[in-house]
Amino acid sequence: MSSVPGPAMELVRDDEDRETYYLNMGPQHPSTHGVLRLRLHMEGERILSVFPVIGYGHRAHEKMAENRDYLMFLPNTSRIDYLSGMIYNLGYCQAIEKIMGIEVPERTEYIRIIVGELNRISSHLLWLGTYLLDLGGITPFLYCFDDRERILDILDSISGSRLTYCYGRFGGVTMDVDDAFLESTAAFCSYFHERLDEYEDLVTDNVIFRQRTEGVGPFSADLVQRFGLSGPCLRATGTRRDVRKDEPYGIYDRLDFEVPVGKTTNGDCFDRHTVRMAEMVQSLHLIEQAVRDIPDGPVMAAKVPKKIKPPAGDYYFAVESARGHFGMYIYSDGTDTPFRIKLRTPSFAHVSAMTEALVGTMLSDTISILGSIDIVIPEIDR
Amino acid sequence: MITDELSAVPGVSSTSEQDYAAKGYHCLHEASPGSLPALAAIFRQRGFHLEHLTCLDMRADDDCMCLVYQFNRQDVPERHVIHSRLAPGEAGTSISEQFIGADWYEREVFDMFGVGFDGHPNLLRLLTDDDYIGHPLLKDFVDADPQRDVFAVDAKKDGVANEAANE
Repeated sequence: MSSVPGPAMELVRDDEDRETYYLNMGPQHPSTHGVLRLRLHMEGERILSVFPVIGYGHRAHEKMAENRDYLMFLPNTSRIDYLSGMIYNLGYCQAIEKIMGIEVPERTEYIRIIVGELNRISSHLLWLGTYLLDLGGITPFLYCFDDRERILDILDSISGSRLTYCYGRFGGVTMDVDDAFLESTAAFCSYFHERLDEYEDLVTDNVIFRQRTEGVGPFSADLVQRFGLSGPCLRATGTRRDVRKDEPYGIYDRLDFEVPVGKTTNGDCFDRHTVRMAEMVQSLHLIEQAVRDIPDGPVMAAKVPKKIKPPAGDYYFAVESARGHFGMYIYSDGTDTPFRIKLRTPSFAHVSAMTEALVGTMLSDTISILGSIDIVIPEIDR
Repeated sequence: MITDELSAVPGVSSTSEQDYAAKGYHCLHEASPGSLPALAAIFRQRGFHLEHLTCLDMRADDDCMCLVYQFNRQDVPERHVIHSRLAPGEAGTSISEQFIGADWYEREVFDMFGVGFDGHPNLLRLLTDDDYIGHPLLKDFVDADPQRDVFAVDAKKDGVANEAANE
């Protein structure tokens, strides 16, 4: 990270006597979705090279993990990626449960599916709204935030927070859900199916939207491999990879859902859009199954050790967040304090791939590509 | 599994299969820092990607820094973790030629642990300021000046860093 922003724009005459210039996009530019700064070397409207500057939101989560015990790190997890905080929070619980061999009650597993998938939909809705806002369409943004608000209300009713949830506990969840929660979730599902159709009409079939996205920002299989992309960005290129299917955690292996992929092997912005739209349908499908089948019973495991002391060694546990492969590399030295927790976040790889994916594109396409990969800056900076 | 191919690379001292159900990965290798580009080239060719790269500060117990590389297959999960031990002050070898994604991970390790990487094209700090003092994830790290004014930096120096970055 460079602390001095420098001039917003500076002209440089290059070796071939071309008049090129450096343009600082960000760190306050709305389309960088947070404090990301792209130092663009440009000739006219065309990008010659990209140097992303990150670290403005660095809060030292990994250092914090080394200064407290495993349970005290739990509230940090939902602050890493604040748009899919529930998935991160539950993912960390599942990692510790797996390492410590804690059995989770059946009811809890179903609750986790419901809240996790609701969170995924709310994250995708925010992406859809802000992406369209980047491309100049204000109306869908208002629609999406209206629907997202309904999800936040539902999650608020059980966890007490709208964004940075701390609903999971090692061995269960903080409190049981009541019938009102299940009813409002089921009502949301039937309502949202219709809304998704409306979005398809409003956005997916919109000719201006398609011109801004189709054929823009294709990711080749080679680029995907060298940068280690995951999530919808990877699936848009036709690769059927999803942690929920490949390395199932919770009860994902018992539920019926599909992994949507892009139609071509060169996933462009439009493919990433269609993949996320299809994922919302699958999430609804998962929620409906979980609401239908949820059994009665306790929500906390009977026996959870007071002190979490994993046997010495290293562990890796991954979950599928709304943006992709979120992994936790936990190195334990046998004490109740983690020796090291490395947080492998999907947006980190996605933004580093921008150094290559944006080269040669026009400035207006840069906005479209950057929006389509769905970045969350605090997750990159940690 | 490509274990045989990997253990044939000079510098790989041990290879062991791990309990995937408990550990979350399939194979653990110990390798010298110099062997990493050769290993990375095999992973690249066999359709793996770099999942993450990090470092462990083990100076207190083993008098070494331990680089941790993690590779996974693109199609089905097959996770390889590589531990590469460095003497304090020794630099690792960059694999950004094989996996350009390692560029940022190596910069992060340099920023947080002070471990250099030979052959890295652009080893600048990633998350902290260019003029930050110390490496925060070292176990003995003490913030030299927590009240520091981050904007009172040498603008000239920053300009040099930016120009280096642009090349």
